[in-house]
Amino acid sequence: MNESDARKVKNSDSVNRGRRSKITLRVITYIFAALILTLFLFALIPGMRYWSWDFFTQAPSNGMTSGGIFPAILGSVLLTVLSLVIAIPLGILLGIVLSEYNLEYIRFVVTILSGIPSVVYGLFGLGLFCITLGMRTSILAGALSLALMVLPVISSSVYETMRAIPMELREAAYALGARKSEVIFEMLVPSVRRSILTVSFVAAGRAIGETAPLILTAAVFYATNLPNSLLSPVMTLPTHLYFLSASYGESARWMAQGTTSVLILFVIIVYTIAFAFRREKK
Amino acid sequence: MIDVVIEVRNFNAYYGDKKAVKDANLKIEKNKITAIMGPSGCGKSTLLRSINRINDLVPEFKTEGEILFHDRNIYDRETDVYSLRRRIGMVFQRPTPFPMSIFDNIAYGLKLIGMTEKREIKERVRWSLEKAALWEEVKDELDKSALKLSGGQQQRLCIARAIAIEPEVILFDEPTSALDPVSTQKIEGLIEELAEEFTIVIVTHNIGQAARISDYTLFMYQGEIVEQNETTKILRNPTHEVTQQYLSGKIG
Repeated sequence: MNESDARKVKNSDSVNRGRRSKITLRVITYIFAALILTLFLFALIPGMRYWSWDFFTQAPSNGMTSGGIFPAILGSVLLTVLSLVIAIPLGILLGIVLSEYNLEYIRFVVTILSGIPSVVYGLFGLGLFCITLGMRTSILAGALSLALMVLPVISSSVYETMRAIPMELREAAYALGARKSEVIFEMLVPSVRRSILTVSFVAAGRAIGETAPLILTAAVFYATNLPNSLLSPVMTLPTHLYFLSASYGESARWMAQGTTSVLILFVIIVYTIAFAFRREKK
Repeated sequence: MIDVVIEVRNFNAYYGDKKAVKDANLKIEKNKITAIMGPSGCGKSTLLRSINRINDLVPEFKTEGEILFHDRNIYDRETDVYSLRRRIGMVFQRPTPFPMSIFDNIAYGLKLIGMTEKREIKERVRWSLEKAALWEEVKDELDKSALKLSGGQQQRLCIARAIAIEPEVILFDEPTSALDPVSTQKIEGLIEELAEEFTIVIVTHNIGQAARISDYTLFMYQGEIVEQNETTKILRNPTHEVTQQYLSGKIG
């Protein structure tokens, strides 16, 4: 066998190896995709048959055997929107500052904060907002606790997005005589604003399904009235689901399934919004 | 009498403890092209990046000695480094278009110098793109993202962005090393034209490039300027041994 034949054999060997690893990776991807899909189908589809006009517009009645989950939907919408209104601007700002100014210690703290279990934020919110600041069990206390919880997650994501911008671009802006603030807010931030919005919404998606902090700060098992101010307690989808499964048996199972699918619908909507930011406008 | 714009005097530059430029002395003449040549790691980029103080951004970077711009030391405490960089522009090795439209890339710099009137900005964008020989190619798609341009076009856009704010000096840090031969040729032609209005310093490790476009050449080796002279003289008659070796391809 001469030299060029030897090279050919070697090449076809590495081509085969490449093809094999590609197939393996693809199979693994499909398995995971199937798992996720199954999860969605089992949680989303069975509950959808309980969707009706009444289910979305009525309050539960007759000991959770009839009516709908309107108060929980309303509560979740209010809490999510309010907490995001608080957390997204602050989180983005914090992420930008952490990335562009040398604040390693604070970043370390933020990283730790983003790993703390949500129930701890609930307890913290209970102590600070509900009791010390006298907000009691209320939408405001819940939204603030949720906002605190997602703030470090949002700023960590924004931090990573900013760090991914090549140093060369910063230098190019400085070379034109830009000041630091002009580099950050007139060049860097505008050029990644879509990614920043996307990552913030993805991070904030965590807020929707949170149960523990809300049980402690905002949610009640059953509200006789709809909330009339930010200081009213509310029902929410995840806590409703928790109460139904923990305290009711078969009679409320239908409502739990229905609530689950609405919750998933919510998640899908928020993530769709998040990814819509990423799409280039024509 | 020659008209000196920049004079480097007993200049040393360090990254931490590592000395990157050793006791450099040179004069840069108005409206001429000065090439800084030498093998990689010889300190040529460091010297160039010291002239507009862009290396201030590098942690651990320190300097000694003076760089005079119109007889004032730019490393003086009272130097306004931002206005210095407006007067000494820079084009980098790899094209660095901002991720925004072609128009906004240039308008960004114009806003920095306080230009607010739309008509004036539009005129200046056009003027600078024409000067950078890019106008004809992009005049109908100024709103397009600058990232969609080819590498050579991106580099010409960066040149347009640099000249739009009308600096006196433009520093080029190996501006064609990431480009194909055709783009390289265009940019070399462009740099020669720009020398009529601007003073140009260009770092290159391409001997042919220095020969084609520069008036003066200085040769650096291991942080020191070993030789400087008119380009034709230095290429024909290198006096220093390392320069001879570099020019004949023995080191590089």
